Amino acid sequence: MNTSYIRAVKAESLKLKRSPVWLAFFALPLISAFFGTMNYRLNIGVLKSEWYSLWSQHTLFLCYLFMPALIGTYCSYLWRLEHTRHNWNSFLTAPLPVSILYLGKLTQAVRVTILGNLWIFLLFYICGKLSGIQSPFPQKALEWFLCGTLGAVVVCCVQLLLSLLIRSFAIPIGIALAGGILGLYMTNHDYGMHYPYSIYCLGMRANNPNMEISLSALIVNSVGYIIVFATLSVFYLRRHEIAAN
Amino acid sequence: MITLRSEFKKIKRKKIGLTMCALIGVQFAWLLWAGNHPDEKERLQGWIEMLHSLPLVSVIMMPTIMSVLASRLADVEHKGNTYKLLNTLRRPGSLYHAKVVCGTLFILAISLAQFLFVIALGYSRGYAGHPEWKYYTTAFMLNLACCLSLYLLQLLLSMLFFNQMIPLVAGLGGSMLGLILMYVKMYSFLPWGGFLSAAQVNMDWNPETRVIHFYYREYSPVELCAVAMIFVWIVVFYTAGRILFAGKEA
Repeated sequence: MNTSYIRAVKAESLKLKRSPVWLAFFALPLISAFFGTMNYRLNIGVLKSEWYSLWSQHTLFLCYLFMPALIGTYCSYLWRLEHTRHNWNSFLTAPLPVSILYLGKLTQAVRVTILGNLWIFLLFYICGKLSGIQSPFPQKALEWFLCGTLGAVVVCCVQLLLSLLIRSFAIPIGIALAGGILGLYMTNHDYGMHYPYSIYCLGMRANNPNMEISLSALIVNSVGYIIVFATLSVFYLRRHEIAAN
Repeated sequence: MITLRSEFKKIKRKKIGLTMCALIGVQFAWLLWAGNHPDEKERLQGWIEMLHSLPLVSVIMMPTIMSVLASRLADVEHKGNTYKLLNTLRRPGSLYHAKVVCGTLFILAISLAQFLFVIALGYSRGYAGHPEWKYYTTAFMLNLACCLSLYLLQLLLSMLFFNQMIPLVAGLGGSMLGLILMYVKMYSFLPWGGFLSAAQVNMDWNPETRVIHFYYREYSPVELCAVAMIFVWIVVFYTAGRILFAGKEA
């Protein structure tokens, strides 16, 4: 199991070699951080909660609207490699169980998402220091990171399933953007914890860093969604005959 | 005409129309949710407020919707590797024209649907009076122009790059940039800020009374230049696309 898994991850890494797909995870948080910090500096008289105010400015739009779509883009790219030409034939005849092959793709998606999240936090720290915030860096940031990452894994699983089912590269990304926007509605009506695209934002406390959320509900819902969507993806790969293009 | 007809044949059963309907449906849901159960004061300002909300929704969603549309139309050629084949049948560039016209028809349908929905929504909520047609017609034309400029940019990128991740990320980045620019100024010379420049309504928010007052915007010379820039972008992207795409075909 372990050797097969490592082989699957290595194979996926090879497929992504020299592909600048990670650049998007670098660029979008940078734009958000730049303008978020600028807005914070311009409204420093109103935004008085220092690190917490800066955090909202950095993450509100990024987490609600763009991160799901960005994760969707990466997941679409992962499956596009198989949807193109005759690659399904080689993928499905690889001497590894389908579940392991799927885990290889999920690992890649989760890895880049974690790196993206780390980048968001690094930018937050740098921009806070450059903005002259004197108070200590919030200890709760570690909790935001861990909860946010768990929520991001849920989005990865949903998007991997969508991109597996839909051959088009662009449609799952459109769905992710729509999902993120609907997440605003869901969170506003207290259904956020039950909606896959909102869990990430709630975990990151994008809307309100002081928000108290039920950690057990977040963990249970996230793990539940991860299991459901991953199982559906593996089930689809096993049961359906996927024609090579 | 033949190339245009073949363009529509190529996208048959690709469900592009359905995809666009779904994405526009999210915009409609947003607008429905945003001004639900208006009180008497909100009804009085209803029509003008709609003209304020629409560009804000568009600035967030339209760059990505346009990138999805352009990617779907261009991906047909990438997957089929049909550039050289088509070049033996039609003159270089005609395929590009067909894609531009095909996309423009979709954009026209999307914009019409948007405005018809907004008007129907206004009447169903009982907004006072009628929409000011002069402003609504101008808003429709400018919205169409903004969408077209973004579509031409995205088509250019989608045709140039086999890896569709690049144009899609450009679309997402554009959405984000447009949204953030909204907090800086209500006009922009960037292609993604066109919706802001085209917005005909501004608002005043009184922090003490917490009352919002909407009013029709009077354009300064710089803001008028920003509006004109939308049309400059259309010409630039169209020309660049035609040159680059014709070169790619050969």
